[in-house]
Amino acid sequence: MTYALFSLSIILVMGFVGFCSKPSPIYGGLVLIFSGAVGCAITLYFGGSYLGLMVFLIYLGGMMVVFGYTAAMAIDEHPETWVSSADIFGIFVLGLMMEMTMVFLLGGDPVKTVEIVVNYNTVSSWMIYEGDGPGLIREDPTGAAALYNYGFWVVLVTCWALFMGMHIAIELTRGGG
Amino acid sequence: MNPLAHLIISLTILTGTTITILSSHWFLAWMGLELNMLAIVPILAKNTNPRSTEASTKYFLIQATASMILLMAIFLNNLTSGQWTINPPHNQTLSTMMLIALVMKMGMAPLHFWLPEVTQGTPLIPAMIVLTWQKLAPLSIMFQIFPSTNTSIILMISILSIMAGSWGGLNQTQLRKILAYSSITHMGWMMAVLYYDPNITILTLIIYIFLTISTFMIFYLNSNMTTLSLSHTWNKLTWMMPMVPLMMMSLGGLPPLTGFSPKWAIMQELTKNNNLIIPLTMAMLTLMNLYFYMRLTYSISMTMFPTSNNTKINWQLKHTKPMPLLPPLMTLSTLMLPLTPLMLTN
Repeated sequence: MTYALFSLSIILVMGFVGFCSKPSPIYGGLVLIFSGAVGCAITLYFGGSYLGLMVFLIYLGGMMVVFGYTAAMAIDEHPETWVSSADIFGIFVLGLMMEMTMVFLLGGDPVKTVEIVVNYNTVSSWMIYEGDGPGLIREDPTGAAALYNYGFWVVLVTCWALFMGMHIAIELTRGGG
Repeated sequence: MNPLAHLIISLTILTGTTITILSSHWFLAWMGLELNMLAIVPILAKNTNPRSTEASTKYFLIQATASMILLMAIFLNNLTSGQWTINPPHNQTLSTMMLIALVMKMGMAPLHFWLPEVTQGTPLIPAMIVLTWQKLAPLSIMFQIFPSTNTSIILMISILSIMAGSWGGLNQTQLRKILAYSSITHMGWMMAVLYYDPNITILTLIIYIFLTISTFMIFYLNSNMTTLSLSHTWNKLTWMMPMVPLMMMSLGGLPPLTGFSPKWAIMQELTKNNNLIIPLTMAMLTLMNLYFYMRLTYSISMTMFPTSNNTKINWQLKHTKPMPLLPPLMTLSTLMLPLTPLMLTN
């Protein structure tokens, strides 16, 4: 598990390096989807099978498609790629080298590196310490039901925030005052 | 912008700050900040010219960076303490990280360079919102976490802000930039006293907001953007001639006016805590602020001929911008000094 987590973490950071050096918004979206999928896989390794699946389906299936198309509306037909400009490719390679340097500075030992990057273990990270005492967060459909039941105000605010994010992105990109 | 969209966006600006102020959970506080930041961007970019777009992009990038730093500090705080309640973090590093994020959000030195640019790039009313309402949410978080932050860092940031605000505004001719620099100085005064008496910080904030809103409103009446345009006021809105200088003196903190009250309280509080050099430095640096307010005063009310006026006076049209709140705001921002003992509760 540690080696899988190590590889996934490295791929996640690679995805963000790719995102930071993105040559055009559409590839930025692509890399974001990629990193999102890897992030879901990492959640899966922490025992969040239901949560990982839900995030994968909803976040990637819903949000990214809409954002991807919104971004795609605003750009040209033949977008630049990472290899179409030496500068961008250089920055991408530099980012990857930085990541590798970081990993090797931490010893290159997967167990140690993973401990430094994600200092969680499976059980205690699903614990909450608020209210009357420690409790467990259930990450299965019961937990989702509880979220909508006990935490419906938070869900409402979250929905409002997501809606406003969407609305403002479209309001800004459609132009025309 | 579509009126309905405008309404929803304005409501979100209000709710974002309110959520941040009212929440006791770090994540919701962060969410309020994000809502607030997202909603102000279309307001800043309402005039779709390149300058406004640039200003709103700058605002978005800075605020998003600050939010991410804050979110990272929040997550690390959750990792080390295991709880989400907004308490002063026990970890010194995390405290400093949060402080830096909030300082960036409020536009204080040394992370203040975006504030004059953003303010200058937008129309008067959005600039006013950036300089007043947008300070509330970060300051409310600052108010909750200050006991664990490093006092030396806070004081250093305050003095740097006062310096940057004073020196930066000296050579400006654009009113919005001058007011942005004045905002940086005022934020410095607010943060300087935060550790000693947070109530005085709130008092300073309230008075600063009154002053800034009334100054912006009075400029908005005549669409004044530059120092030069102020020198035409005597012919357009004659009653502004005594009012604007009074506001400027009040912003600078001269004694018989409201603006003196927070400065008085802050200097007294700092002196009571055996800080003598710091209030002295702050007062001396703020003198430079007073200098550029004086220059505005000069160009608005002292450029008239001392003889009888032979120039034709502009035709006085009926106002198209009704402002029922302007007279009470101006009264509050100039004549509130005698109420100081009521406002300082201890």
